[in-house]
Amino acid sequence: MAADLTCLDRLVDLPTGVYDEMRDAAGLARPAYSDYMNWLAHMPEQQMQSRRAEADLLFRRMGITFSVYGEAEGTERLIPSDVVPRIIDGQEWQALSRGLTQRVTAINRFIDDVYHQQDILKAGVVPAEQVLGNAQYRPEVAGVRPVRGVYTQIAGVDIVRHSDGRYYVLEDNLRVPSGVSYMLSNRRMMMRLFPDLFRLHRVRPVDHYPALLLRALKAASERDDPVVVLLTPGRFNSAYFEHAFLAKQMGIELVEGQDLFVDDHQVFMRTTEGPKRVDVIYRRIDDMFLDPRVFRPDSMLGVPGLIEAYRAGEVAICNAVGTGVADDKSIYPYVPEMIRFYLGEEPLLNNVPTWQCREPDQLSHVLAHLDELVVKEVHGAGGYGMLVGPTSSRAEIEQFRAVLQANPGNYIAQPTLSLSACPTFVEEGIASRHIDLRPFVLMGRDVEIVPGGLTRVALRRGSLVVNSSQGGGTKDTWVIDLNQGA
Amino acid sequence: MLSRVAWHLYWMARYMERAENMARILDVGASLAMLSQPGDSSAAVEPLIITDSVEAFRQRGVQASAESVARFLAWDREHPSSILNCLQACRENARAVRGAITSEMWECINDTWLQLSARRAAQPTDSAFFDWVRERSHLMHGVMQATIRQGQPRHFIVLGMFLERADNTARILSVKQSPLEAGQSAHALQGDGTSVSDQAASGPAEDGLSAHYRLSAVLRSVSALEAYRDVRNDQIDDRGVAQLLIFDPTLPRSLRRCVEEVCHILGELPGSHARVARRLSAHMAALLQHGALEDVERVGLHVFLDRFIRNTVRLGEAVQEAYMPTA
Repeated sequence: MAADLTCLDRLVDLPTGVYDEMRDAAGLARPAYSDYMNWLAHMPEQQMQSRRAEADLLFRRMGITFSVYGEAEGTERLIPSDVVPRIIDGQEWQALSRGLTQRVTAINRFIDDVYHQQDILKAGVVPAEQVLGNAQYRPEVAGVRPVRGVYTQIAGVDIVRHSDGRYYVLEDNLRVPSGVSYMLSNRRMMMRLFPDLFRLHRVRPVDHYPALLLRALKAASERDDPVVVLLTPGRFNSAYFEHAFLAKQMGIELVEGQDLFVDDHQVFMRTTEGPKRVDVIYRRIDDMFLDPRVFRPDSMLGVPGLIEAYRAGEVAICNAVGTGVADDKSIYPYVPEMIRFYLGEEPLLNNVPTWQCREPDQLSHVLAHLDELVVKEVHGAGGYGMLVGPTSSRAEIEQFRAVLQANPGNYIAQPTLSLSACPTFVEEGIASRHIDLRPFVLMGRDVEIVPGGLTRVALRRGSLVVNSSQGGGTKDTWVIDLNQGA
Repeated sequence: MLSRVAWHLYWMARYMERAENMARILDVGASLAMLSQPGDSSAAVEPLIITDSVEAFRQRGVQASAESVARFLAWDREHPSSILNCLQACRENARAVRGAITSEMWECINDTWLQLSARRAAQPTDSAFFDWVRERSHLMHGVMQATIRQGQPRHFIVLGMFLERADNTARILSVKQSPLEAGQSAHALQGDGTSVSDQAASGPAEDGLSAHYRLSAVLRSVSALEAYRDVRNDQIDDRGVAQLLIFDPTLPRSLRRCVEEVCHILGELPGSHARVARRLSAHMAALLQHGALEDVERVGLHVFLDRFIRNTVRLGEAVQEAYMPTA
């Protein structure tokens, strides 16, 4: 890398059909990026390189790593954290934030409904068999209503910006959404590496997220000053760093299943001073592992008797058991209808048009357009088991066609969205890479969303897969207030 | 605090202390081996006797030399008490409960592990490496003092450290000291309480000069050489060393100091289930506070240390029963 280059010198124009977060069609900075792009134009590439090296060192030293499944036990890797922020205009954020609040509110009404009176099924808005026959539906908790009817204390909604410049919700992540620790760590790292940038911009803070989360968790119990714990599968889980980080930030115990026991429908933790009552469990393990007496009998991660205690109202589980029924990809297409049904409002955020492969006519459309579509498993996560038509070879498409035809009910298909692109510091200097956005929506007494979220970036050129397990990285996400009239 | 967390903190500290002690023993062992006659491997195997590793080393089928013993005790992947494995176990325990220690402590321990990993290819066994291990342990304690609150997490860390240290000082004394009693055969102790014939202190009668080096080595391995000069201001002899390392109330690694610290911490921790541990530690402390070298000489140093080591093991068990019962 030449010594006299600045960060902008090697940035090339994006192909048409991709929304550029930083520049408009004329190549000029969009308002949110005007100061930043100017700063980049004066930043020597070599200096950026040395700051990135410093960032890597900081992250490794802090042990901000994740474990990779399928590699030797305990293998830890850094999630690459990019030194170029993703910047969102404050007014645009307000609109996004209203849309998220609306969406998550309706989803909570839906979850409450399907485990109680089932109005939406009776009205025929959502097909009953899609809900009651869903692998994520938990008849074991039907009739259980958490405090205030809040089922999702935390939702991590995945959003992308399409070439039309509009935001689309990809999925709602209502079970155990992760990634918020990277949002917080990225911000700390950026403030340390680029204090000058934070003087130049009015970046809305995100550091109070743990305090808001704790408040939402406490609101899940009716007891005074409830005892909240974070239940982790343990240190070999890929998100263990985040579990430990959040527990520490909130000042609550990080427990494993073996630390808890149930006595007379009450949950206790084993402490050095004897058993101590637990009121709220922020669980980071899936439903199926929560209680070997009710769900998977081979689970070593859960607590025998926990579901019985939950049904008796003696303990809150956050997110509630059975929320997965609402973030299932086969239910996703109905979210706009839920918003109309429960709130009588028009959806503020867009859904991606979705074909359900279980319907024969929709399946034939999908089969005829495999090279244009993204096909996903209904219950899949992490970017595994999916086909991205436009970037797949003919052989890969034909191979997937056979898999799809063998079990069409297991898949949905969507048009390939062109994820927007953002400047990113990679081996060849600053270059455009595709990004998405995961804001974290907290729900306690009110809905709270810290301004920003986790921006994930596909570090390989042209790639649309942002998952950290598949070569994705993260970016600090700034919501900035522009000086009006300046 | 969670019992499991207490368990991890306690073992985190024990492993860090064990790594430091191993480094001390090996460093002093290496310098002694330089003084011994060519072909005489008795000094070289001493670290194995102190750390109870004679049999484990024999199974490797390697010729015993200062170098091979040090490599084994520092770097052997299969030997649970090697420095490599101790520092890894320390880090694994810390990682399991990183929320219970300060982020500065975690970063210190993690950084130690990262630096150790970088040295693994070369497997150094020189003084610079042992100094590094000791410094990392000291750094961890310093960082802890400077950052952690007074409270249970700290108590369990300090408890693990002093129990490990008490055990270590007793073992070093028991191997390196001459018996201090007439007519009794010298023997050193195994961790399970069985005795093996002492390979270090027996043999031809030593002259004053080699006794000086042997005892200096004992003192250096527990950072007490300067303390001996300050306190005794006299020629180094067996009785003086025993007096200092067993009964001195001010030396950070004396048996008395270690046991008093354990007593103090047990007094700070919740006591409802700790009756056995508190009684045993108070008993051990009383023997050291009100005892004298003549008592030791009456039963013999090795018998005295044998009892002490057994009691330390029992105390460790009592602590675990009180605070960290298995589910």
